[in-house]
Amino acid sequence: MKRRAPQLVILLCLWAQVYAASHTLVLVVRADSKVTALDSLTVRKLFLGLPVLIDGTPLHPLRNRSDSQLDPIFLQQIVAMSQSAYDRQILIGVNRQGWLRPVEVNSGSRLIETLYADPSAVTFMWLQDVAHNPKVRVIRELWSD
Amino acid sequence: MRISRLLFIVFLLNSPLLRADPLRYEFLLLPSASGVGTFDRRAPNTQLDDEVLQADMILSLQKGPLKLFGEYLLSDHEGDLERLQLGWQLSDDTVLWIGRFHQPTSVWNHDHHHGQYLQTSITRPSIDEWEDLGGVIPQHFTGALLESGRTVFGSWKLRTAAAVGVAPQITPHGLEPFDLLHPDSDRHQMGYQARASLHPGDFTETGVGIVLANDELTAVGPTPSWLPNFDHVNLKLVGLFAIYAPSDWKITSTVYYADTKLYYGPARKDDSFIVGYIEAERNFAYDLTGFVRWEDSYGANSSPYLHLFEQFARCRRVAGLRWDFVERQALTVQFTNSHTLDGRYSDIRLQWSAAFF
Repeated sequence: MKRRAPQLVILLCLWAQVYAASHTLVLVVRADSKVTALDSLTVRKLFLGLPVLIDGTPLHPLRNRSDSQLDPIFLQQIVAMSQSAYDRQILIGVNRQGWLRPVEVNSGSRLIETLYADPSAVTFMWLQDVAHNPKVRVIRELWSD
Repeated sequence: MRISRLLFIVFLLNSPLLRADPLRYEFLLLPSASGVGTFDRRAPNTQLDDEVLQADMILSLQKGPLKLFGEYLLSDHEGDLERLQLGWQLSDDTVLWIGRFHQPTSVWNHDHHHGQYLQTSITRPSIDEWEDLGGVIPQHFTGALLESGRTVFGSWKLRTAAAVGVAPQITPHGLEPFDLLHPDSDRHQMGYQARASLHPGDFTETGVGIVLANDELTAVGPTPSWLPNFDHVNLKLVGLFAIYAPSDWKITSTVYYADTKLYYGPARKDDSFIVGYIEAERNFAYDLTGFVRWEDSYGANSSPYLHLFEQFARCRRVAGLRWDFVERQALTVQFTNSHTLDGRYSDIRLQWSAAFF
């Protein structure tokens, strides 16, 4: 038993690393969405509330807040600013131009329902949650640990 | 005419772009409360008609590329529809508005509009003051506004705006913009404005720019004795501005050159003046922000046009401290020393301001 303990610890560490490596955040749309590609600057604009049009129709950003781990990634990797700077940017956009802030969704099931219902919706989810979903299309990888 | 407008709206609402998109909206409430006390009064008018309580309400509706945007300001002494704009988002960076808007050549008002929470100081520079608070530059126009932006020199951003609209009138009480809710049948003339600014990126306020305006302001009501049969004013404005906004600092500097022609009876009075200001804001620990502003002018004392506005401050010094004590709420204290065209006074103000979605 004593001999197996170190092996068990090593196995647990390996499993933890594999599990952690599977955390990849991806940008997703409905499968039949007209969106084919969005560069990081456009994604940043979209989630700061700036208008992004595809064939004359504005895209609708959905901020995924179903997992508390997503908030720091959203701020650091997607909009690249602090929470207070993000809040201020959103307020300024509404005040100056009437821009709409991204809709915030706190439940994973509601987020996927909203995405199914709206061909202009764009959101971000863990890859493992959408990998085999034929109704959702991955546009790009946003972050991976 | 009304039928054609109705048909146009029906056409818009039935266009494929609009039918495919749900109606989305945003509502923003910007309330504030302030108190002011004056001292060292050596002027007949010490500008005490500032609001004590006010609620600035912003509603934005969007369906496809069509937008409806409104701003209504309710205070303890007035209720005004400040902006009502119907817009068409032509591309990511271009929108065409029609309706009542804030003209784009006021650097301060273009950035802050009426919401007190979004400006660090309690008061705005005298040259950018609203018409009903003694402002000397017309701010509210009814017409068309085109705002656009494009990437230049790699990652730099060129932002432009051009506007044409019905200009405010000059009355014995100051400038009065065209009121969409209570339209009058008095004679109004037109104004034209343009603005261009260059920024080192998409998401920074840092940049430099130029503004141009040519406004015709009709005089209505009893006229001053020194301007018999006062008819109208032609106001030409050229301005330069620069904003430097790294993370902890913000410095805003603006200078306007104004050329005015006052038409009265068979004669005309010409004059010109220069007005400018520089404001520095610095963020400190504990969510504190300190600010100072220096406003000054050249040729203001001899300007017949500026003598139509008793409250205009030809020179002003402002200093204050803002504390963002909880999320989206702030307390601000401000000390001001103002020199008008016929005296001077000082005041101290305290303000609570907030923003709620």
